[in-house]
Amino acid sequence: MVFLIQAVFVPIILAPVVYLLGRRIGARAGWFAFAVLLYSTILLLVTSTFGGEYLETYPWEPIGVFGLRVDGLSLPFAAIILILSTSLAIYSIPYMQHKIEEDLHASKSSSQAGTKSTPESDLEFINRKSGLYYSLFMIYAAGMLGTVLATNLIQFYIFFELMLIPSFFLIAEFGYGDRYKISLMYFLWTHVGAVSLLAGILTIGWYSGTFDYAGIAESTIPASIRVWIAVAISAGLFVKLAAVGLHVWLPHAHAEAPTPISALLSPAMIGIGGYAFIRIMIFLVPSSYSTVVLAITIWGVITMIYGGLMAFAQDDLKRLLAYSSVSQMGYIIFGLGSFYYLGVSGSVFHYVSHGTGKALLFMSAGAIILQTGGIRNISKLGGLGSKLPITAIAAMIGFLAIIGVPPMNGFQSEWMIFAGSFASALQTESMGRMIISGVALAATPLTAGYALLTMKRIFFGKLPDNLKDIHDPSLYITLPLIFLAALTVILGIYPALVTERLVPLIQSAFGGIS
Amino acid sequence: MVELVNASIPWLVFGVPFIGALLIPLVSKAGDQIRNYVAVAITFISAAFALMMIPLALAGETLHNQVPWIPSLGITAGVLADPLSVLMANVVAWISLAIMVYSLGYMKGDPNLTRYWFFMIFFIGSMQLIVLSDNFLQLFFGWEGVGLASYALIGFWNKDKESDYVGTVGHKAWGIPTAFSPSHAGMKAFVMTRVGDVSFLIGIFVLYFFAGTFDFTLLAQEHGWAVDLARSGLLIPVAVLIFGGAIGKSAQFPLQEWLPDAMAGPTSVSALIHAATMVNAGVFLVARIGPLFATAVQAVNMIAPFFETIAWIGVFTAFLAASQAMVAKEVKKVLAYSTVSQIGFMMLALGVAGLSANFLSGFIAGFFHFTSHAIFKAALFMGAGALIHATHTKYMSEMGGLRKEMRFTFIAMTIAAGSLAGIPLLSGFWSKDAILASILDVSSFGLAMPLFALATITAVMTAFYSARMIGMIFFGKKSQHLEEMEKEGKHVHEASRLMWLPYMALAGVTVLLGFTGPFFEGFLDFSFASHLEQAFGMVVIEAPFSINLVALAASLGALAVGGFFGYSFYISRRYDPGKILGSSGFLKSIHTFLENRWYINSIYYIIFVNGTLRVATFLHKRVEIAILNKINSSVTDSTQYFSSISGKFDMYIVDGVVTGIASISLVLSKLLRKIQTGITEQYVFAFSIGIIFLVILMSILLL
Repeated sequence: MVFLIQAVFVPIILAPVVYLLGRRIGARAGWFAFAVLLYSTILLLVTSTFGGEYLETYPWEPIGVFGLRVDGLSLPFAAIILILSTSLAIYSIPYMQHKIEEDLHASKSSSQAGTKSTPESDLEFINRKSGLYYSLFMIYAAGMLGTVLATNLIQFYIFFELMLIPSFFLIAEFGYGDRYKISLMYFLWTHVGAVSLLAGILTIGWYSGTFDYAGIAESTIPASIRVWIAVAISAGLFVKLAAVGLHVWLPHAHAEAPTPISALLSPAMIGIGGYAFIRIMIFLVPSSYSTVVLAITIWGVITMIYGGLMAFAQDDLKRLLAYSSVSQMGYIIFGLGSFYYLGVSGSVFHYVSHGTGKALLFMSAGAIILQTGGIRNISKLGGLGSKLPITAIAAMIGFLAIIGVPPMNGFQSEWMIFAGSFASALQTESMGRMIISGVALAATPLTAGYALLTMKRIFFGKLPDNLKDIHDPSLYITLPLIFLAALTVILGIYPALVTERLVPLIQSAFGGIS
Repeated sequence: MVELVNASIPWLVFGVPFIGALLIPLVSKAGDQIRNYVAVAITFISAAFALMMIPLALAGETLHNQVPWIPSLGITAGVLADPLSVLMANVVAWISLAIMVYSLGYMKGDPNLTRYWFFMIFFIGSMQLIVLSDNFLQLFFGWEGVGLASYALIGFWNKDKESDYVGTVGHKAWGIPTAFSPSHAGMKAFVMTRVGDVSFLIGIFVLYFFAGTFDFTLLAQEHGWAVDLARSGLLIPVAVLIFGGAIGKSAQFPLQEWLPDAMAGPTSVSALIHAATMVNAGVFLVARIGPLFATAVQAVNMIAPFFETIAWIGVFTAFLAASQAMVAKEVKKVLAYSTVSQIGFMMLALGVAGLSANFLSGFIAGFFHFTSHAIFKAALFMGAGALIHATHTKYMSEMGGLRKEMRFTFIAMTIAAGSLAGIPLLSGFWSKDAILASILDVSSFGLAMPLFALATITAVMTAFYSARMIGMIFFGKKSQHLEEMEKEGKHVHEASRLMWLPYMALAGVTVLLGFTGPFFEGFLDFSFASHLEQAFGMVVIEAPFSINLVALAASLGALAVGGFFGYSFYISRRYDPGKILGSSGFLKSIHTFLENRWYINSIYYIIFVNGTLRVATFLHKRVEIAILNKINSSVTDSTQYFSSISGKFDMYIVDGVVTGIASISLVLSKLLRKIQTGITEQYVFAFSIGIIFLVILMSILLL
């Protein structure tokens, strides 16, 4: 059976094809990217119906086994990655067309005084850029997918880097503002994190004698080394998860990336840090994990609160959403530190909730930017609810998901996270953890505050005079919005779609720890 | 088969509105008129299903139906139709229906009616979901559903025109504006009730850890969780934390401040919030968990502090809000404060239930008062909406002398206000009396006395503000505002029939319930007694209806005192309250204090809203930008600087900065400089080719 290997490698192999196609037909190459990613999505969903755990292995000497696995843990991640990138492939068609045209005009007006004239025509420029965009987009999606399906530490690391590189180029080539500098900043930070992660991974492999997840036994690692492994891996992954202190790159990168890429970066990519934390720390080296849980919990709470407060202070819509992502990663980190199966399951679920919710928000922000001719300052917006009803509803559902209001999926994940942390506090009879959990939960109205305030400032109140004639964007944009909004609600009402394979798996892992 | 049908009825009571709400946007394509009637029809169908459950309550039986929900955690979804939820569901359903019919007239011509109907129906469905849920988690869905609907409906006029503001624009208390735009008021309601929800959630999470279930019936059957909780000293905290949710939703002290500002919504929405949904959710929650905690531990004393908390918060809120209602200027604000106050009474009753030997009397008093309040308050709000429509003002001082022009409204509102004040032979008289009597049942005399005294003082104030409201609106001379309107040729006239019929009907029910009060109480007595016995194994004393003379005297005395002042100031207008107020600096300062809501609102804004924003701005400026961004920027800048130095040398420096690993980084730093030349895609192309090459190589190795 060769389902997963196709799901991962078909988009990569076809990336040059998309590029060539793009040079001919321009933005419409997005349809091809959509078809390819849809194919991957279907393959993944097919394997998910096999039940239990599905594993494909290919010999990969001398490193070990090149495996691709769908189980209760990797399925939610893989599904969100593919669902988001498939939807965003369509969304990108009008958005990137517009963005590239804008860049073209910008470069023209700046080079008017210049000496060099570009030999290519406008159409060629647009087509070339479109092709480039979609080829990078597909590699990026496949890189993320490979990361969560991998069954070998080295394989994991390769994919981990593979998702970094295209996203770096996407920001550098298609971003807003000071994009070169920001893409470099993004690259440096995440790369430093990756190195720290690599150090941890190599140490594990060194002592275990293998890099295959299946062959790693923590008992082979000397106790004195374990804590260093825990620190190295946690620090490495926390750069990706944008924990406070390691988060500075995120607001820049996510705000200035082209909006469809923000919608992938923010919910889909950074949350992979959470996946890796569970897969490596909790599953492979659980006793190392247990040494750092309290620190992680506290770090998570601080990240939650700090990110939320920063979101209050923003006027740039995309930057606000980026800080909101920092805050939401705080929830995930907090759940990871709960040291209880319910909390960790909640973190995974929250990846899904934040995935749909924040993608909705970034896509709505993109719709606003597109329709208003590039306005990103919240203070210049207002009263758009009647003009952009579908966008307003989508943004509302997105915000409600991250606030954690039923019937959105965010509620299901957040209750699991917090119930887990309280259970952990009660189980260990730790007053400190009890207080931390209380503080964390008490900080959740903060999210409600900035979310609803943003809704009010954008969609309610007085409509500025220059925005009298705008309307909802085309179906390319609204259909993905409606689809994700529906998914958000469905998963909220029927969470068993996520939990049924996830919870028992996490539970069994914790059975091993205590 | 019959059983299956029966079991599906409670599901349909909330299922119909939820599905119906989704249909509204579709139906709206068929025409506005059709959409409006469909909306009312959906409410009616839901109410009809609620009515079909009544036989259960009459027989004192319970229907419990469950389906799997999150199997891996052992969590089920289900409906629990016991006498409490069946009766509650019917009050909610039928009052909602009256309000929906009224909306046909009141909201006529609004351009955003699709949104209006969607959220109204969603609101009703969420409330029914709360009422009929059999576990905390599912209940919380409805709980947040009403929060969401109230957010959307309070902020319904989200264009935030100045005329839609609630409160006096420009007036400030301690530097905090007291007027709020609709969208602000909606947000305030949501965030403030959310604070209560945090407390609620902590409570149920801890409970879940000990009990391993959210299910009400399981919690009632097996009391091991309560023993464990009590042993670790968490029983009272958990119970009080869960009650915190009710404090938020029901606008009890200290989270009462959102409700007065919620008046920014359409009046029909206010009616729904105050009479049938939202604020009553908290009362229902307490009625749900009260017996659970009362019977969970054998030694009653262990749980007494929980019920004391409820009783004290209830009675204090009743007092606080009634004092503010006495000086409110807007008719809807009077009603809003009055709701907060009356809900306080209900809480008080449910609290004293757990403090007396007979749980039943307080429990019934609370539910009875909920029912009578729901009916007369819906009538009052709908009447107020008609008044605002007719007079184009929210201020009572700009009305006056309207009893001829708006005869039906006058009759209905006077009956309803009379019931609120506690005039004998109206429904409110019986229920208030029942509450006062149940306080006297409290075992500890030292506790009963202050509660009773505060409740009586509140009853005095209630009678006063009821009379004041009726007097200012319907008696005396016409205000200047109305005379100006007449000059412009706009005559005040009675509301359309579609509007006055619903509130006249509810006024009629108030009278009817007034005449049959003791019988209704007897019915509640029977129904709840069997419910408490069966579900909780509680020993209850079914007491035949009797009149407690002390309570009766207090209730009538309060009516006489409060009514006298209200009558002579505002109805007969023998004394001028303005003059009396002006003559005394002391009274004046009390008046200002009450008008500024005891400054509680200002304090909250100063600490929580402005405080949060200040901390956020400070951190953003001084930490995020001043420190973290500087570091970030300098790292990036220096890297860029180094990488711009020509030659191979830079690679090694970049490499060093990037912690000196592998070739990928080397290639990249080279690439980065090439970006500017615009040939990146060729590299990417090459890169992709390379990947393909790797893949081919790998598959060769495989085969």
